[in-house]
Amino acid sequence: MRILGECCLLVCLVTLGYSVFLTLAADSHRPSWRARLELWSTLLGFGGLSAVLAILAWALAVGDFSFRYVSSYTSQQLEWQYRLAALWVGQAGSLLLWAWLMSACALAVRFFNAAESSLQRTASGLVMFSVWFLVAVMVFAADPMQASLSTPQEGAGLSPLLQHPSMLIHPPVVFMAYALWAVPYALAIATLVDGRIDANWVRMARPWALAAWTLLGVGLLLGAQWAYQELGWGGYWGWDPVENGSLLPWLTGTALIHCLLAWRHSDTLKKTALALAIVTFALCNFATFLTRSGIFSSVHAFSESPIGWMFLAVMGCQVAAAVVLIVRRRTVILARSAFQHVLARETVILMSVFLLCLLAVIVMTGTLCVPLSTMFLGRTIQVGPEFYNSVLPPIGLSLLAAMAAVPLLRWGASPAAAHRRLLAICLLTGGACSLIAFALGMRNRIALVIVSVAIVTVATMIAEFVQNLRRRQRNSQGATAVGILRQGRRKYVAYVVHVGFAMVAIGITGSSLGTQRQEFTLSEGDAITWAGRQVRYDCLVQTELPKMLVAEAVLKVNRGDAPQVELRPARHLHLLQNEWTSEVAIHSTWRGDFYTILHAGLGDGRIVVTLVDNPLVNWIWIGGVVVTIGGFGAVLPTSRGRAAGSKPVANREVELDAAGDGRRSAAA
Amino acid sequence: MSPGLKFLAGGAFVALAIGYLALRGAAESWQYYLSVDEARAEAASLEGRRVRVSGRVVRGSLEIGTDRRQAAFDLSGDVDTLHVTCHCIVPDNLREDIEVVVEGSLAEGALSGNKVITRCASKYEAEAAAGRELAAGSAG
Repeated sequence: MRILGECCLLVCLVTLGYSVFLTLAADSHRPSWRARLELWSTLLGFGGLSAVLAILAWALAVGDFSFRYVSSYTSQQLEWQYRLAALWVGQAGSLLLWAWLMSACALAVRFFNAAESSLQRTASGLVMFSVWFLVAVMVFAADPMQASLSTPQEGAGLSPLLQHPSMLIHPPVVFMAYALWAVPYALAIATLVDGRIDANWVRMARPWALAAWTLLGVGLLLGAQWAYQELGWGGYWGWDPVENGSLLPWLTGTALIHCLLAWRHSDTLKKTALALAIVTFALCNFATFLTRSGIFSSVHAFSESPIGWMFLAVMGCQVAAAVVLIVRRRTVILARSAFQHVLARETVILMSVFLLCLLAVIVMTGTLCVPLSTMFLGRTIQVGPEFYNSVLPPIGLSLLAAMAAVPLLRWGASPAAAHRRLLAICLLTGGACSLIAFALGMRNRIALVIVSVAIVTVATMIAEFVQNLRRRQRNSQGATAVGILRQGRRKYVAYVVHVGFAMVAIGITGSSLGTQRQEFTLSEGDAITWAGRQVRYDCLVQTELPKMLVAEAVLKVNRGDAPQVELRPARHLHLLQNEWTSEVAIHSTWRGDFYTILHAGLGDGRIVVTLVDNPLVNWIWIGGVVVTIGGFGAVLPTSRGRAAGSKPVANREVELDAAGDGRRSAAA
Repeated sequence: MSPGLKFLAGGAFVALAIGYLALRGAAESWQYYLSVDEARAEAASLEGRRVRVSGRVVRGSLEIGTDRRQAAFDLSGDVDTLHVTCHCIVPDNLREDIEVVVEGSLAEGALSGNKVITRCASKYEAEAAAGRELAAGSAG
């Protein structure tokens, strides 16, 4: 099977290379046999990658240790789900998965919309080129089919820290997002080469960008949750280079989605949109460089490998191509509208895009501080979380303020008098809520402002909806609430995403500013009062399982009149790896998490535990789910979108009208 | 002033303000990141200063307190070693013969640490390290 896999990989290298050559070199009048050959070589490449993936998955499932990859990441004792998860745990396997997902995207681009065949054929060819690059890396530097020097009886197993449900879906979701980001990039390059740069590009790129953005957000969220539940330090984000690597394309991707909106509705930010589509995928390659170059210090371990530098070179080529093409086409992609009003919707989007890009630059600077300082100062310097935390509140607050105001702003004009009145009422409501929070004991200024802005975000959304409903009912259009929601689904889904972000902001603020933690040494029967709770330590329970020894501390927690909660923070000794892990126990409510970590048993039943009170942290996860639902809701095509899907948009008015609150209504 | 210039001026002002905040944050949090050999060579000039030192835990040198609140070990570099004492919760995966980064301050030729970062949470293997089977995988 391993030899078959090797052969399939080589077939992929050849056929994909041939397919890329045929696709990118083809003209629209090529003979039909060439078109068929081009298609079949692409399909053969995809089939070959599917076969390699299936062979590796089979080898992992049955524990065929003649594959070096299998013996490096699995063992016979590992549960089946983690054996399969090992597919994306190692370097070669993750590259294989990424290549396969990207080749599926290339095929989907090809067949998604036949009306735009030349542009989509070029885009599909460009995505296939990225796949070919990954296959070349696998063939020459990270072979998933590599044989073990001698077939061992037992594999090394998977790190216990990675045996967590989040790890089953976090990496594939991130790789899926990276694969999807290849499509807006390829469409941007293809349209810049082609020279026909219009709203059709937005229509084609939008669903891919939204799906990629949503999935990358899910990936970041799952990664944060894994860190929170598994690493046992009570936090969820450490500004680690790997975390930053995935955050960067998400930030520029967020900016891209807003640029697409501005392009569609006000014919502005076109160059920025095209540049961001390319930069976002380039940053996905940059993230891969961060993981594999070996030049960073991180809680994630790295080692030196030439693979990282290959990805950096590809990223450099992508950015250079973007610069050259955008400069070449600068006259074609000039914005037809100018920014005239400070409080127009496109101006607020411009500001948000600017702030998101600024944040991306700052995160990248902080991440690259180590190599840059070594290169330019001759000393290696690292910056800590304070560097990022110093800029996050002002940028985050400005973005939240923009999100809060946007439902009551119009495209191409300042807000109407009625909208200004509503905005003032919403601001007063936010201010009043802030005062109530102050009266209830909240004293932190940033927290008070965040509460206020979050309330304004919800209030403006409701105000806009109610005003829209009343206006239509007044005009005897027989509008119902459901009808308005259905008609303006994209718009309201975007507002739902904004509400999700307001919830995430509340969660981040609460858990950053209000966290308390303390270590205790407790004897059996000890009771302490801490963070408004009474905690009693009952006993230490030790259990012997086939694969591990488990020591659990039984803690009884009481808070006010709430029912008693039993928490069992534990330590596991994994016998195969001879490695201890801490398994935290968390009691979650909407008010916050009570997080307990068992560090050691001292004998005589005494234990060392850390108790952490993390206020509002659940708001992050719930807000993240709201954002995800909104994101997927936005990907679904509207009925008008489906109708227009097969033909190019000829009239911008159609696009504006579809938004439900476009310039036409503003002018009216 | 044209709208374009106004937006440019506004953007430049915001970028400068955020840049200033970033610099202030960097000034509060920056640390030298040193190898063991660099830390040994510059121990006198860096005494009392917060640093991060990376190296490999020497076999046979690791002692962890029963309450896991302190640890002592030697860190090896290419040519030199550095004694480290840590007063912090010791990570579960701190073992001998692994790469770690210790954050702390240098005093009398030793490092007094208050944070140990182990490098085993996730890992892509190095081809250069062929022969050493690695037990952990990447978080992606």
